[in-house]
Amino acid sequence: MELDYLATVLLSSLSSASVLLIATVGLAIVFGLMGVINLAHGEFIMFGAYVALFATRSGVPFPLAVVLASVVTALFGAIVERAIIRHLYGRILDTLLATWGLSLVLYQSAVLIFGTVTPGVGMPQSNIEIGNYTLSTYLLFLILVAVVLIGLLYWLLTRTGYGIVARAAIQDPETAATMGIESGRINTATFALGSGLAGFAGAILLPAFPATPSMGFAFVIKAFLAVVAAGPVTLSGTVAAGGVLGSIASMTASFYTTVMGDVVFFIATITILRIFPLGISARWRLKL
Amino acid sequence: MPRVARFEPFSLIWLCGLVGLAIVASLAFDPYLAYVATSWVIFGLLGLSLDLVWGRGGILSLGQTAFYGVGGYLGSITAINCASLTGNTLIWSLPVGMATGAATAILIGGLTFYGRLGPLQTTIITYTFTLVLWTVAVSFTTTIGDAVVGGDNGMSNIPGYVLGFGHDAPLLEPGAMFLTVAVIATIAWYASHVLMRSPFGLVIDCIRMDPVKAELLGYDVRLYQLLLFTIAGAVAGLAGALFGAWANYLNPSVFSVQEALLVPIYVLVGGRGSLVGAFLGALMVGGLSFWLGGGVIGGQTTLVMGACLILLVIFLRNGLTGGLRDLAEMTRHLAMRRGEGEDDDSREPSLNVDFERLDLLRATEGEPVILETEDTFKRFGGVIPVRHVSQSFSPGRVRCLIGPNGAGKSSYLKACTGVYKPDGGSITLAGQDITKTDPFRRVRMGLGIKNQRAQVFAGLDVRRNLWVAAYSRSRDARTADWITAEMLHMLGMRNSASRPASELSHGEQQWLDLGMVLALGPDVILLDEPAAGMTNEERRQLSHMVRALARTASVVVVEHDMDFVRTLDADVTVLHQGEVFARGDIEALRQDDRVLDIYLGRHQHV
Repeated sequence: MELDYLATVLLSSLSSASVLLIATVGLAIVFGLMGVINLAHGEFIMFGAYVALFATRSGVPFPLAVVLASVVTALFGAIVERAIIRHLYGRILDTLLATWGLSLVLYQSAVLIFGTVTPGVGMPQSNIEIGNYTLSTYLLFLILVAVVLIGLLYWLLTRTGYGIVARAAIQDPETAATMGIESGRINTATFALGSGLAGFAGAILLPAFPATPSMGFAFVIKAFLAVVAAGPVTLSGTVAAGGVLGSIASMTASFYTTVMGDVVFFIATITILRIFPLGISARWRLKL
Repeated sequence: MPRVARFEPFSLIWLCGLVGLAIVASLAFDPYLAYVATSWVIFGLLGLSLDLVWGRGGILSLGQTAFYGVGGYLGSITAINCASLTGNTLIWSLPVGMATGAATAILIGGLTFYGRLGPLQTTIITYTFTLVLWTVAVSFTTTIGDAVVGGDNGMSNIPGYVLGFGHDAPLLEPGAMFLTVAVIATIAWYASHVLMRSPFGLVIDCIRMDPVKAELLGYDVRLYQLLLFTIAGAVAGLAGALFGAWANYLNPSVFSVQEALLVPIYVLVGGRGSLVGAFLGALMVGGLSFWLGGGVIGGQTTLVMGACLILLVIFLRNGLTGGLRDLAEMTRHLAMRRGEGEDDDSREPSLNVDFERLDLLRATEGEPVILETEDTFKRFGGVIPVRHVSQSFSPGRVRCLIGPNGAGKSSYLKACTGVYKPDGGSITLAGQDITKTDPFRRVRMGLGIKNQRAQVFAGLDVRRNLWVAAYSRSRDARTADWITAEMLHMLGMRNSASRPASELSHGEQQWLDLGMVLALGPDVILLDEPAAGMTNEERRQLSHMVRALARTASVVVVEHDMDFVRTLDADVTVLHQGEVFARGDIEALRQDDRVLDIYLGRHQHV
C-alpha cells in the first residue's frame, strides 16, 4: 500500500469524521444539557442550509451567510422550545415524538416551498493533490472548522457564565433552582444553542452538501447513533464516538458503498453499546 | 384474587361488537370503500403492535414499520413463489410474515434489552434501524425465484387474497377481503387482549411502572420485554404480509419515516395501552383522509400528520379512549367525594399485624439458608465503599448493620442484592456462588430485598401488588391467590385490598412493600432502614415482626435508628469506611469508646 494512498484515506476519513462531528455537536449539546433528543435536528440542519443558500444568492458573502444561518436557526430553535419542548419536560419519550412530528412538518414544508431539488451554492471547488490522488480543499478545511468549533464550545461551557450555569442546572436542578437559577431560560438558551449549531452545520457544509429538503435524513442516522454511542459526557464523548464511528463508516463507504457505510455504522454503534450500555463516556471521570 | 386469566364477559361484548360491525360494514360498503377500509384495519394491526410494546410495555419503538416491512417483503416473496402450489395465498404469506417480523424483533430487542440500553437509547436504535433498512431497501435488488425485488422500483406481482384451495380458487372480492382481514385482526386483537389479562400482562404492567422492583420480585425483566417485543414483531409482520397482499405491490416506502410516523398517531388517537384504541385510531385517521381526499400516505398528509402528532402529544396524551376513561374516573371521584363525608368510619383501622398468620406463611422446611460474603470488595474509581467485608448471615437472631453515613452499609447491601457487581471476593447463598448472578435469580434463590424507599406499583391495587409477588414465587395462580389472601389478612389490609397503591399513605406503602417481599417467601431478608418514616406504634409492630421472621429466616437490617436497633435484640455489626469495625450486642457497643468515636467524629481511635 502506497504512502499517498494511505494519506488520502486517512485525511478523507478524518474529514468525514469532522463533517459528522459538525453535524452532531448541536444534538449532543441539547442531549447532554437537557436530556432531550431532538429528532428534528436533521431538519434544523436543512433549515440552516436554506437560510445560507438564500443569503448567498441575494449577495451576502458566504462567511456572513453562515453567521446569519446560525443566528436565524437559533432563534427558530428558541421559538420551538417555548412552543413545544417546554410543555413536555420530564416526558422524554413524548418530547421525542413531538420533535419527530416537527421534523416531518419541516421536511414537508420544505418540499412544498422549494421542491425536491435545489441547486447548490456556486462556490469554486478547488482540490489538493496528494501523489496520484486528489482531495477537496473544502473538505480538508472542515477538519479545521471542527477543531475550532469544539474548542469554542469547550470555552463556552467552562469559561462563561451561561456554560457554568447550564451545567449546574443539569447536574442538580433542585440546588440550581434554590440558587436562583431559572432553569426555563437556561433550557431555552441551550435549545437555541443546539439549534444554532445545527444551522451552522447546514450552512458551513453547504458547499459540500447541497441544500435539499431531505438532506436532514442523510445526517440523522449517523448523528443519532453517534450521540447514543457517546453517552453522557457531551463534548469529549461525542468527539470520541464521532471520530471512531465516522472514520469506520467513511472507510467502509470508500471501499464499498455509502449504504454499506450506514449499515456498518449501525452495527458498530450496536457493538459499542453492547460493551458500554450507556455510551462510551458513561464511566469517564471527565465531565465535559 | 385479581381476575387474571378469567373469562371476561366485557371482552366478549367487544369481540361480538367488532365482528358484527365488520360484517355489517363489509355488506354495506361499496367495493371501493371496502377495499380502502381493508387497509385501515391493516394499519390498525400495525398500531396494535406498537400499543403492545409502548402502551403496555412502556418501550417506545419507532421501528414497528421495520418489522412490518420485513414481514411484508419476506411473506410476499414466499407467496409469489409458493402460492401456485396450493392456490391459497395467505397460508404462505401470513406465517412467514409473522415469523420473520418476530425474528427481526428478537434481533433488535435482544440487542437493546440484553444490552441494557436506556429507554431513550432503545427508541433511537429502533428508529435508526428503520432508517438503515430504508436506505438498504432503496438500492437492494435481487431475484428470489419468481419474486423480483427491484430496489426503489419495489416488488410487484404479489398475489392477492385467495382463501380457497386449488388452481381455480377465486380471488376475494373487496367485501370478502375486508371481512377476512377484519376477522384476522379481531383474532390478533383478542389474543393480545387475553395475553395482557393473563399474569404475563400483569408482569408487563409492573415492568412498565417500575422495572427495578419487578426484578427484585424475581421476574426476568429483560426476558419479559423481549417476549413482548417479539409478539409485537409478529403482529407487525402479520400486518405487513396482509398489506403486501392487499396492495399487490411493495416498495421501500414501507420503511420510510412518513410511514413510521403514522403508527404512534394511531396509538395516540385511540389511546395508549387500550389495544382496541389502535384500530379506532387507524379507522379515524384513515377515514378522515379518505373523506378529505387523498390517500393516507403522501401529499400534504405528512404535514398534517406531523402537526397532529405534536398536538396529540401536548394536549391529548391519553387519546380518545384515554380521555373517556379520564372522564369516567373523574365522575367516579366526584361521586366518591360526595359520599365520603358521611362514612368516615369505614376507613381502615390502624394497622394490625397478625403474627400467627406470619408463622403460617413462613413455614419452611429443610436446611437453614445462609448468606455469606467472603472478602467482598467494591470500588468506584478512587472511592472504595466496600473493603474486604466477610460476613455470614444465618437464621436465629436478627443481624443489624450500623455505621455512620458513608460507612458503606448501602453499598454492601447492594453488592448482596446484585445491584452492584463486586470487584473482588465472593458471595454465596445457600452454598451456591452468586457473586455474578443477576438480582432476579438471587431473588428466586431465596433472597428478599426491601429498599429504603417504599417500592409499590402505584397503578395497581393492593391485592394485585401482593399477587404479583406471590405469583413470582409459586408460578401458580391458585397458590398466589391463597398467599395474597393470607398476606392481606396478616397486614390487616383486607379492607383496602381494592384501593390503588398510589392512594395509600406513606406508612401503608411501606407495609405493602414489606408484604410483597414476604409474599416471595424469602429465606434471606435484607431490609434497608425499614423503620424510616414510621410512627412509634408501627415501629413496635415492625420490630416484633422482624424478630419473628428471624426465627426461620436470615434477617439483615441496615438501620440508623439506635432505639429501633435496641428493640430488635440483634447481633450488631458496625461498618466504618467500608470495613467491619466492631461486632457485638448493642449495649456492649454503646459502651465501646471506639464506636462512639466514629459516630461522633472524634479521632483518638480511628
